[in-house]
Amino acid sequence: MTKHLIGLGVLLAVGMTYPAIFPNNLTIAISVLLFAGWATSWDLLGGWNGQVSLGHASFVGLGAYFVAIGQSQFGLAPWWTMAMAAAFAAILAYFWGWLTFSLRGPYFSLSTIAVAEILRLVAINEEWLSGGATGVFIATLPEPFGIDLFSRTAQFYMALAFAAVVIATVIVISRARFGYQLRAVREDEDSAMAAGIDPTATKLKAFMLSAALTSIGGGIYGVVLAFIEPHVIFALLLSVQIALTAIIGGRGTIWGPAVGALVLIGAGEMFRTTFAEANMLIYGILILVVVLFVPRGIVGELARRHIRRLYAKRAQG
Amino acid sequence: MPNVLRADGITVKFGGVTAVNNVSLSLGSGEILGLIGPNGAGKTTLFNALTGFAPMHSGRITLLDRDITALPAFKRTRLGFGRTFQTERPFEELTVLENVLIAAFLTVVRRSEAEHLAMSVLEQVGLADRAHQPALDLNLARRRRLELAKALAVKPKVIFLDEIMAGLNPPALREMITFVRSLSAQGLAVLMVEHIMEAIIELSDHVIVLASGEKIAEGTPQQVTSNERVIEAYLGTD
Repeated sequence: MTKHLIGLGVLLAVGMTYPAIFPNNLTIAISVLLFAGWATSWDLLGGWNGQVSLGHASFVGLGAYFVAIGQSQFGLAPWWTMAMAAAFAAILAYFWGWLTFSLRGPYFSLSTIAVAEILRLVAINEEWLSGGATGVFIATLPEPFGIDLFSRTAQFYMALAFAAVVIATVIVISRARFGYQLRAVREDEDSAMAAGIDPTATKLKAFMLSAALTSIGGGIYGVVLAFIEPHVIFALLLSVQIALTAIIGGRGTIWGPAVGALVLIGAGEMFRTTFAEANMLIYGILILVVVLFVPRGIVGELARRHIRRLYAKRAQG
Repeated sequence: MPNVLRADGITVKFGGVTAVNNVSLSLGSGEILGLIGPNGAGKTTLFNALTGFAPMHSGRITLLDRDITALPAFKRTRLGFGRTFQTERPFEELTVLENVLIAAFLTVVRRSEAEHLAMSVLEQVGLADRAHQPALDLNLARRRRLELAKALAVKPKVIFLDEIMAGLNPPALREMITFVRSLSAQGLAVLMVEHIMEAIIELSDHVIVLASGEKIAEGTPQQVTSNERVIEAYLGTD
């Protein structure tokens, strides 16, 4: 617990000074932080609870659209629309989970792909609301305390706050009753029921929380992009990237998804500038290496070795 | 003695096959009921139906005079059922303590209190020194005790033990028999499925014999072991 709080402190300390030291590398840092927050939110459901979603772009998109439409059509400030997006995402997750969680096996994962696809089609076709295929543009933003939200520095701090809040949430949950219920359901539903846990209710709570947190990051993403297009924001690629970030970093670990974001998004950006078109190939190879040789993910593998070492030491002593 | 658990006319069907046919039983607090029968007799199926893990075709189950027939397994646990599984199912990625903690969280919300409860149950089953070990690393006898600890940590009124003696070596078997007796001495109602006759004869107040899903005999251990239909079911006829 203490070491995780120290980790969070380090993240915040590095984050606070980052814009002063690397003022020209803010966009990539924003991407890393947003992905860290999304992947960590995804992992609450996918890693801790074992329900793999391939539709988290739905919640990113909801957040972005709420902020953009709220601002451009109703003049609502992003913080209000982010709160509304979080509530809406949780309600959507509730109904989706209610329909699909009683099924065992891969059906939930498959159905999540459909959610993002449905939302994308709605966004394209309901032009009066979403601007259709051309998208929505954020032209003005409020200036709370004189802060220009269009500045990359302000956006960086928003993304940092988002990542930190999500990670802090997972730190608290991992030690709490709810965290153990999540893991029990992941490991064995019958055994969880024998411990008095309602598997469906547990999954629903995890899905709702995961969706709400993701949509808040989506709202920040909307501000960062300032221009939202349905085929980008509701793309299957984005959903897959969020899931892969968590899986490669280490499912069901506190820091795995954040490390995954640093490696995948950081490395991805470097490859893009160095290898141009070949970057997807390198990206693919990286994923393959992790899946084949470190199936628990980077942090998952490190944690396992650490526990083994401690245990071996105790057995000797 | 007042009934803690009562089951009337339990019937379980899988497709056209009747796995358990019209079996009734009742159990008071501090009482040990043994359930025996040849392989495939429907013992585990009956167990699963009682605990809510297998759907029942017909029948009625009451716990302390409350009808629980329609309740799902996790609600039965909340009302006072504890159970072990025939193939032990520890949460392998977690430590021994965390495994029991999950069950302890049923009755307490605070982590420190739940840990306290889990530790006291681990001491009871003799696994306290293994508390921080990964559950994956336990041997068979200790896995059995972990199963037992998980079942006890929900603070049950009735405990269902599914072949917890199987495969144990003689000293471990003796320990387990003593332990089960101590549970009934604490007032727990115990329902156990067991193949080890030594344990059944020594522990049970009452025995029910199942064969092909039917109750073919019941009574004290001495009565059923001398019953001709039981001997026939086990050994066959010429």
